[in-house]
Amino acid sequence: MNARAGVALAWKNLFRHGRRTIITASALAFGLLVYIMADSMLRGIEVDTERNLILYETGAAQVLAEGYLEERDLRPLRYAIETPEEIESALEESGIKAVARTTFSGELIVFQDPFPEDGSVQVTGYGIDPSDDGDVYRLEETITKGRFLEPGEDGAVLGGWLAEDIGADVGYPITIVTRTRGGFFQTLELDVVGIADTPNPIINRYAVFVPIDTADFYLQMEGAVTEIAVAGKLRGVDRALTAQMEQELASFPGVDVVGWDRLAMDYVAIAQTKNSGSSTILFFVFVIAAVGVSNTVLMSILERRREIGMMRAMGLYDGEIRRLLLLEAAGIGVIGAGIGIALGAVTNYFLVTNGIDYSFWLRDMDAGYRITGVLRGVWNGDTFASAFAAGVIITVITAMMPVRRALRTTIVESLRTD
Amino acid sequence: MITITNLVRTYQTGDNEVRALRNIDLAIATGEFAAIAGPSGSGKTTLLNLIGCIDEPDEGTIEINGSVVHAGKAKERALFRRENLGFVFQSFNLVPVLTAEENIALSLSLLDMPAAERRERLRAIIDEVGLTGMEDRRPARLSGGQQQRVAVARALVKDPKLVLADEPTANLDSETGAAILDLMHELNQSHKTTFVFSTHDPMVMDRADRLITLRDGRIVDDDLRRRAS
Repeated sequence: MNARAGVALAWKNLFRHGRRTIITASALAFGLLVYIMADSMLRGIEVDTERNLILYETGAAQVLAEGYLEERDLRPLRYAIETPEEIESALEESGIKAVARTTFSGELIVFQDPFPEDGSVQVTGYGIDPSDDGDVYRLEETITKGRFLEPGEDGAVLGGWLAEDIGADVGYPITIVTRTRGGFFQTLELDVVGIADTPNPIINRYAVFVPIDTADFYLQMEGAVTEIAVAGKLRGVDRALTAQMEQELASFPGVDVVGWDRLAMDYVAIAQTKNSGSSTILFFVFVIAAVGVSNTVLMSILERRREIGMMRAMGLYDGEIRRLLLLEAAGIGVIGAGIGIALGAVTNYFLVTNGIDYSFWLRDMDAGYRITGVLRGVWNGDTFASAFAAGVIITVITAMMPVRRALRTTIVESLRTD
Repeated sequence: MITITNLVRTYQTGDNEVRALRNIDLAIATGEFAAIAGPSGSGKTTLLNLIGCIDEPDEGTIEINGSVVHAGKAKERALFRRENLGFVFQSFNLVPVLTAEENIALSLSLLDMPAAERRERLRAIIDEVGLTGMEDRRPARLSGGQQQRVAVARALVKDPKLVLADEPTANLDSETGAAILDLMHELNQSHKTTFVFSTHDPMVMDRADRLITLRDGRIVDDDLRRRAS
């Protein structure tokens, strides 16, 4: 059968039972719509999380003292970079923006008056350079109350959720109990000068920022810092950047260069889990499509057994009939996938422009993602293309079995069918 | 044209063995208009299926124009059918989504043929079978007789050597059936195409040039008188 006649016949057969075709295609379309939406949101969360990690928590990469990374959760001050200025200069000479920080853990203690009640909470302290921190981080832009830090002051900026949890306000005194680099207990008496509402929940919930020279004094760091963070691209791990840093710092013994992904292993683990979640969605799309299409093709073939027998008697090869029936199945796939990605595009437009406000439960959830409020989707052409291709391929593959069954029947049996 | 030698076809239905054809020997010449008659279960359709290469014998041979037609592979038999045979079925077996013209053209779409020749053949056969003006109608909008005309046109348009028709008038009233038979006979004469058809309708038998009668899988009568006359 010539190709044109085959395509024309397959197209007409598609609409022989138009309602059935549309219902089957709709099942496929719905599955693909769910896939596109889920993928868009999960990718959106990834984009936001990586940006919020890099801009508020880790930078694009960090220089750490050897041994620090393995014990980073304990915030050990004994693994410190002794000559941060030299390293910063070396990096900045090669065009890399760098800023030093000292991170420490401590217990924040508050007392009634002015606080609503006595209590303590574990916090992460960040000694930051108020004049240079903006080269890498965006903390200053998120101050919603009070002001940003000034060098040398005994002041603190609190994460927004932390301030809310303990009832802190600008001007309130706080006490942080920690240990110095030498291991001695130390108390930092500070005044809250500002409150930062960042889009990073870890910072919002646990962070207390103090000027780095104040931290240096109380923690007896003697000019050393725990990390030097650098600016870089906001999506994905910048391997070129870390490679360049390693090259620039080859002459500095005892330091490691690590990308942000190694500083946020909790998130990386979640992101990998998400990928398997996407595969699960795709699997369910496959099941929905497979059941619907298989049923439609099977019914179509059973109804047309005599017609198929007639065409075989006329001299159509089995391969030609197989192609004809698979072309019809592909047609259902094209219609379903077309509707699916069209609906997906409309829905995704809403997700990208407006997003969905999940702030009411994100506040209470610590899922590893660095997002606090509105979840937005992203446009990803690959997802649309793969959804379309998957829809068509799934329908064709699913149709193969009933088609094979139809062609196993002899011509005489087919023609005898009532 | 058709030479059948010692043809045997046996079916297994459950535990029973049905001998549909028993040692059939038969020769049909080019251009004949032959009917195979007999009661239900006599083996008419089985014989047509075997001649039409859509079934395989258990024993014996069928030669059409010197070739043993059931000897080849399925694809070779399909190629033989598309190039040499036309089929007309009792229940028309038209494709409901195609128009009358498209149904007829379906037969030509299997052949490698210039578009102009295809159009010319279509126009001619539609005219010959009296379907002019109904080309764009789908089968649902055609009467039984008109549908069978489409089926006859579909079988003949590719100019086959042999047309096999299984009870072509069984689903038609007697007047329409007679008209279809007359049409087939005219086409047999004008195209010089061999027609072999099965029937148990006396009206159809009367119009055949040759009447081969089967009973219990055997040829019990072969009336050549009409051909002679």
